[in-house]
Amino acid sequence: MIKKIFLYGFLIITSLVTLVPFIWMLGASFMNDGAASVFPPIFIPDPFTLVQYKTLLEKLNITQNFINSLTLSISVTIVSLFFNSMAGYAFAKYRFGGKKFLFNLLLSSMIIPSQVTMLPLFLLLKSMGFINTYMAIIIPGMANIFGIFLIRQYCLAIPDSLIEAARIDGATDFQIYRKVILPLAIPILVTLAIFSFLGTWNDFLWPLIVLTDDSMYTLPVSLANLMLEHTKDPELMMAGSVVTIIPVIIVFLALQKYYIKGIMMGSVKE
Amino acid sequence: MAEVVLKNVNKIYEGGNKVVTDVNFTVKDKEFVVLVGPSGCGKTTTLRMIAGLEEITSGEIFIDGNLVNNLPPKDRDIAMVFQNYALYPHMTVYENMAFGLKLKKVDKKEIESRVNEAAKILGLENYLNRKPKALSGGQRQRVAVGRAIVRKPKVFLFDEPLSNLDAKLRVQMRTEISKLHKQLGATMIYVTHDQTEAMTMGDRIVILKDGIVNQVDTPLNLYNKPINQFVAGFIGSPAMNFLNGTIYESEKLRFKSSGGAIDFEFDPNHANKMRQHAGKEIVIGIRPENIVTEINGFESISFLANIEVIETMGNESFVYFQLDGVQIISRIKSKENLMHGSKLQMYFEPDRIYFFDKETGKRLS
Repeated sequence: MIKKIFLYGFLIITSLVTLVPFIWMLGASFMNDGAASVFPPIFIPDPFTLVQYKTLLEKLNITQNFINSLTLSISVTIVSLFFNSMAGYAFAKYRFGGKKFLFNLLLSSMIIPSQVTMLPLFLLLKSMGFINTYMAIIIPGMANIFGIFLIRQYCLAIPDSLIEAARIDGATDFQIYRKVILPLAIPILVTLAIFSFLGTWNDFLWPLIVLTDDSMYTLPVSLANLMLEHTKDPELMMAGSVVTIIPVIIVFLALQKYYIKGIMMGSVKE
Repeated sequence: MAEVVLKNVNKIYEGGNKVVTDVNFTVKDKEFVVLVGPSGCGKTTTLRMIAGLEEITSGEIFIDGNLVNNLPPKDRDIAMVFQNYALYPHMTVYENMAFGLKLKKVDKKEIESRVNEAAKILGLENYLNRKPKALSGGQRQRVAVGRAIVRKPKVFLFDEPLSNLDAKLRVQMRTEISKLHKQLGATMIYVTHDQTEAMTMGDRIVILKDGIVNQVDTPLNLYNKPINQFVAGFIGSPAMNFLNGTIYESEKLRFKSSGGAIDFEFDPNHANKMRQHAGKEIVIGIRPENIVTEINGFESISFLANIEVIETMGNESFVYFQLDGVQIISRIKSKENLMHGSKLQMYFEPDRIYFFDKETGKRLS
């Protein structure tokens, strides 16, 4: 009993300590200028004001940045799910020459840091005329070996007889993929969607490199600019941070059971 | 017409593993043929080649007179019932059964009619809106059969459909599939490792061993006239008993088992056929029901059995004893005073003894 109390107490305290910066961030975003720069820090805004959000929306074009982030995150998620799922399914269930070699080659590419490939990728996209366009973010995100690997592992567990039954029923390869595999792969697809969405939403460095116009900036990039321009306005910066992380929290909370299931997948034999 | 013909069909996997060797047989229109054999004998591979799920290394397969070697499964007009049902888990029973028809763009009303008809035949009317996970094993298997029925194929293929069911359900489903065959009048090819299923369901049986067809015949002919020792031992439950021995001449032509427990004279008819094998080591086989406790005449094939185990089935019992160090099973009418350690005078019915070549296993007589 004492052990349980101690354990729960420890967990609650650790959670609170982790949450404190977020709570302060939220509180500060509803404070007037200067109200957050005090010690000890205040958590409850008094008076409660939306002036920081008003400034973000009206003066700093945050809406456009929000739309950019949302559009790109959704686009990359959908496109990457499409290609990753097809590739993962093919690697799991199809027999073709060089499959093992190709898959191992793709896996080995994971050891290459992304910073190493940034310059050649930038030059490639520049030659294609995609710099400062959405395509500069979407194309590199179209497929990734992590997603392919995740889906491949999941598809390996789908019985071959299911695919054979569909083949006998008259389904083409694409129909098998669309009508049999995709519905069965929903848990892993949702997990991958979360990874993809969060990854694109939170990505800072690559959008910073390939997007040159203010109007094309994503939220993390615009938030970084905000920090440079308004270092003495922590309330405004916190409001910008809240706008950036709210969609992420919503997506995660809505789909967390799939996320946790997806992480655990393959770890336990069923 | 939905005749299936296999001509010199071979299957060799990468690495040279030959799993099906020169298979030849014909399944006539409306016939129920069972492919049976021990695990790894090539029966499922043969079925999958008929279905188009495995490529044929060499040979030809004809369905309804058409060469189908290069046709994909969907163009062969076949339907298959898998061992693990292979039902689409995200679809309802109705959707599972309608799936193939929807792909063929069959009219909605026609789909409904066919699915309802199949559901009625299989007793699934109340389960059409359920998903497979809400069904029992037997119900799932019926859905798998229903999915095949609605397509009205030329040939039904069954790949050990009852293997995942419990014993009681297996017996029940066996009867249902047999009734279905009579009802639909369809050509069916059924794979099983269970010789009881083969014997009770098949119009004819194809027995495979190590990828080779040993015998193709009716159940009764396989039982009474096995072509070799493997078929003789595979068909029949309990299995046929075998004893090694030698044919020798001593005034008359005789057989003596290797341990001397059995020593008998051939009757004149058999003697004529077996004389050519004099001096040769052979194997004799006798079915449990042909080892009896009472016999008229031919007392020369008698012995005293030292009973080791008795399995009472009710009206009859299985009696286990040893001859020449080999365990022998006899099926006799249950006797009340029989127990472990009892000694019982037993006889081989002489006209029910089979003789096999020891090296090739081929039946000599």
